[in-house]
Amino acid sequence: MLETTLCGVTLKNPVIAASGTFGFGAEYSEFFDVSRLGGICTKGLTLHPREGNPGLRVWETPAGMMNSVGLQNPGIPVFLERELPRMRTLGTAIIANVGGGDLEEYVEGVRLVSGADGVDIIELNISCPNVREGGMAFGIKCDVAASVVAAVRPVCAKPLMVKLSPNAEDITAMAVACERAGADAVSLVNTFKALAIDIHTRKAVFDNVTAGLSGPCIKPIALRMVWEVANAVHIPVVGIGGIATWQDALEFIMAGATAVQVGTATFVKPTAMLDIVDGLERYRADEHLTSLATVCNILGTVPKL
Amino acid sequence: MTVPSPAHVEGVTVLSQEHLTDDVYRLTVATTTGGTPGQFYMVRAWEREPLLARPISVHSVDEDTVSFLYQVRGRGTELLSHLQQGGTVALTGPLGHGFHTEELRGRIAIVTGGIGIAPMFCLARTLPPGDVTVIAGFKSTPYAVAQFTDLGMDVRIATEDGCDGTRGFCTEIFDPHIYDMVVTCGPMPMMARVAHLCAEAGAPCQASLEAHMACGVGACLVCSCATVLGNKRVCADGPVFDAAEVIWHA
Repeated sequence: MLETTLCGVTLKNPVIAASGTFGFGAEYSEFFDVSRLGGICTKGLTLHPREGNPGLRVWETPAGMMNSVGLQNPGIPVFLERELPRMRTLGTAIIANVGGGDLEEYVEGVRLVSGADGVDIIELNISCPNVREGGMAFGIKCDVAASVVAAVRPVCAKPLMVKLSPNAEDITAMAVACERAGADAVSLVNTFKALAIDIHTRKAVFDNVTAGLSGPCIKPIALRMVWEVANAVHIPVVGIGGIATWQDALEFIMAGATAVQVGTATFVKPTAMLDIVDGLERYRADEHLTSLATVCNILGTVPKL
Repeated sequence: MTVPSPAHVEGVTVLSQEHLTDDVYRLTVATTTGGTPGQFYMVRAWEREPLLARPISVHSVDEDTVSFLYQVRGRGTELLSHLQQGGTVALTGPLGHGFHTEELRGRIAIVTGGIGIAPMFCLARTLPPGDVTVIAGFKSTPYAVAQFTDLGMDVRIATEDGCDGTRGFCTEIFDPHIYDMVVTCGPMPMMARVAHLCAEAGAPCQASLEAHMACGVGACLVCSCATVLGNKRVCADGPVFDAAEVIWHA
């Protein structure tokens, strides 16, 4: 049994579609039964609609990709009216990813989403590297991040999971600060701030110059960060970063993750998450484990040499 | 025409790989997944690298085959060109919204630049040959044009180096005033010119856009294009758009 409890919410399994890689769930419903997933994180939502970034938005790298979408979304009111009712029929946990350009937008956004039926968890996005104001600006310094979490906490009636940026000055201190400010869980990591240059035009590939790196290339660093954070906080940690196989997912669980999110791998193969669910279940059965909790954080706090 | 539902299929057998000219190939695979004119597949012929599959338009469809006409542009298409009969590919598709064939009535111009001719054969097979003029531009040696002549269509060619047809761009031998409907596919500046000419002449124009993609299904928003109705997803809202709605200079 892969059933997993995250912030009091029961997930069928610990495999969640990562924000920004699964739309609002409708697109991939054409390819597989998305009710087999543990949950779906929505595309990053902001109170006001955003058109996102101009110019090229994707660039491939060895074992990865960079994106510069810039939080394009229809705005929270349109999400609540048009997308959420459809999402609620998908038969899996719904995690609303909420971002903002300033503190007021975060608070109002979380207040609106929190009041909606059918949202199970709110994932606070303080880690988008692709918007100039807001997004990751709130995810670099501990005190700034903590102030956002503290501001939305009173208006958030749902479990509050904070999505951390690997670009934080100190991601462990950041996680601790968010926990103290009232976070019920942390998810990590978002994409790494990265750069690509077109040597022919002698300019940055992206209009925004830097963009967010994801995919298998970031996995070992993300795994290290999850392990460090899991051993520093007392709230659940959701592991994200380059997970493409069930073995990858299991590594994150062994590093201390209660659940995992999968993003880029879905682009490579639409049904990648089902393979991960099936692989984890086979492993659990083969190892005669009652649940994967048995191996969660099995690495523990290994003393460094 | 009913739009087939998309699927992800692995181990699809390669029936043939034809080298047409220079860097242009035609790949035919055994699949019953079909597709309508203007739709595309995410195609993959490798294990790990490059990370993402490549969006390739449907060149022609039969009951149990799909063909892709493609140009080698980078590592992905280069690996596709290495495929041989009996090899396999992974396909996700058919994807996107293709040409609005129900609107194609009267005198029709198909205006293409380079590999933009790829999706047009599939479309041409659905049209009455006597009504269609194909105006195809190439840098140098033309390719994949004889099949339109074989259908009985009027084919006019422009080449930049003058090796065949009229020397120059296809847009220089295209007069939108004599057509009721125009469809186009090719490089963005060329399609922008076609769209401009059509707008001036009052001829409706459908344009099939190309974009770098990640998911191909509408989930990731990396292939967006600017339109008068806001950003649209080339993969899911297109790839075929009303040319008058596209903001070409964006």
